[in-house]
Amino acid sequence: MPADPYDGAVEDARIVTPPGTFGLQILAVSEATRVIGGLVRSDERLRDLWVEGEVGRVTISTAGHAYFALKDDKAQLQCVWFRDERVRSAFQPQTGLRIVVHGRIDLYEPQGTLQLYVESIQPSGVGNLTLKFEQLKAKLSQEGLFDGARKRPLPIRPATVAVVTSPTGAVWKDVCNVLARRWPLVRVVLVACAVQGEGSAESIVRALRRIERYVELLGAANRASEAPAVTILARGGGSIEDLWSFNDEAVVRAVVAHRLPVVTGIGHEVDVTLSDFAADVRAPTPSAAAELVVPDRAEFAASLARGADRMHGAAGRVIGDARREVDAERRALDRLHPAARLAAGRERAGDLLDRATRALRLRIGEGRSRQDRLGDALPGLVTRRLVVARGALGSAASALAVLGPNATLERGYAIVRTAPDGIIIREPVPAGSQLSIRVARGEFPATADRPARSTGGGKS
Amino acid sequence: MTEPRQIPVAELSFDDALAELQKTVAELEAGGQALERSIALYERGVALHERCAALLAEAELKVQQLVTRAGGALEAIDVRPEDARDAE
Repeated sequence: MPADPYDGAVEDARIVTPPGTFGLQILAVSEATRVIGGLVRSDERLRDLWVEGEVGRVTISTAGHAYFALKDDKAQLQCVWFRDERVRSAFQPQTGLRIVVHGRIDLYEPQGTLQLYVESIQPSGVGNLTLKFEQLKAKLSQEGLFDGARKRPLPIRPATVAVVTSPTGAVWKDVCNVLARRWPLVRVVLVACAVQGEGSAESIVRALRRIERYVELLGAANRASEAPAVTILARGGGSIEDLWSFNDEAVVRAVVAHRLPVVTGIGHEVDVTLSDFAADVRAPTPSAAAELVVPDRAEFAASLARGADRMHGAAGRVIGDARREVDAERRALDRLHPAARLAAGRERAGDLLDRATRALRLRIGEGRSRQDRLGDALPGLVTRRLVVARGALGSAASALAVLGPNATLERGYAIVRTAPDGIIIREPVPAGSQLSIRVARGEFPATADRPARSTGGGKS
Repeated sequence: MTEPRQIPVAELSFDDALAELQKTVAELEAGGQALERSIALYERGVALHERCAALLAEAELKVQQLVTRAGGALEAIDVRPEDARDAE
């Protein structure tokens, strides 16, 4: 026998020391509790266990630890829940509550007492719900209700969106806000239902059916284009019991059978219900569901502006090509030389090009002022795109300005301006005024003669 | 101007205006039209773009609630979001 039977591993003490060996020995208290502690810690069943019972009096220490007794009709067990674990839990022990505690049992040596050191607690019955959830999920999954192949694509720009939720609470308003911000062209139709408590599952199923009946009625009235194109099924966050109606078999089947694609936004990111599995698209929250069903207005305006850029570019190329063709034609005519054909050809080509230039310049000018107004109404990203677009428009317009008068001058017209200040003359000028006359292929000075009648105009 | 049966741009819905705008841009980019046709396409395209952008900028969300009338008929009526009722 070793000199000190408690020196060494606990297992050793237990194994090598037969009952009664302590008989002639007096132990210190701490020695006795060490043996007890060793025994407790060596039992795997006590290291990780779940205990269900009713909560007795709860005390919270100044350090934030919770102490309470867990009881049934025959016994009780002291529990301690340290602050760090406790504050992370949404659920707290309350006297009289039936709970399930997860933790380990150990000896608190200073008191010589056995305690349950709590890691987490749950309300009683959750275990049953979780079990029911898994059983129903397996059953419906086996039927193929959650198959990816069943999922329908969402409409790209629905004109009408149906929302199945409770009209009270934040969810419905959040959905409206998101839609108003992202895509206010849409019409949103609330289909009110209860989302928790007795009868809520039936209420949700009835709401989904009402949408289907509404779609049918509109179709029969030749107003199918007004019918909702997608259904949002939404609810705010809550406990597993609060969300339970979305795990109801009838609700899940109604979602699968719904004639419109369904987007669910139920609870928070971490909450997953069987309705989510059944939906065509699952969004993490109600707001996210609203974002998923419509495009973003700012992005869309930017892509519209890109389309307009491409159109300006294409129109500019058409004008450029036409000008090159006219130039080529004129050179050909010059070579052929019959004066009458030359003049006629120039007239026709010049006329067409003039019209094109005028039209394009006018439209580009208007387009620019419209884009200015649009720019004021749009957020930063889009405005930047419009600035780029405006730059492109500006250079197109200046290119056309050069192109315009040349075509006219080629047809034999002249621009008469005062010299040296270059003001274009539209009224008769006093005799002796110095003028500058611009023709297609140059410019030359002139002096005004005695003034004639106002319709005649000055002549060099 | 070359297609007299065209609906005035101001009367087009957003979706119709957008669809025609997309078609117009594609046609202009493909090229190959007479100059007059190009100009007509371009003018129409600019007007269509303006129509879409204005509708997008000025739109206001239409909020309704589906209600059951006596006799079971369903009707969507205008509501303010905060005035929606519990009634099914």
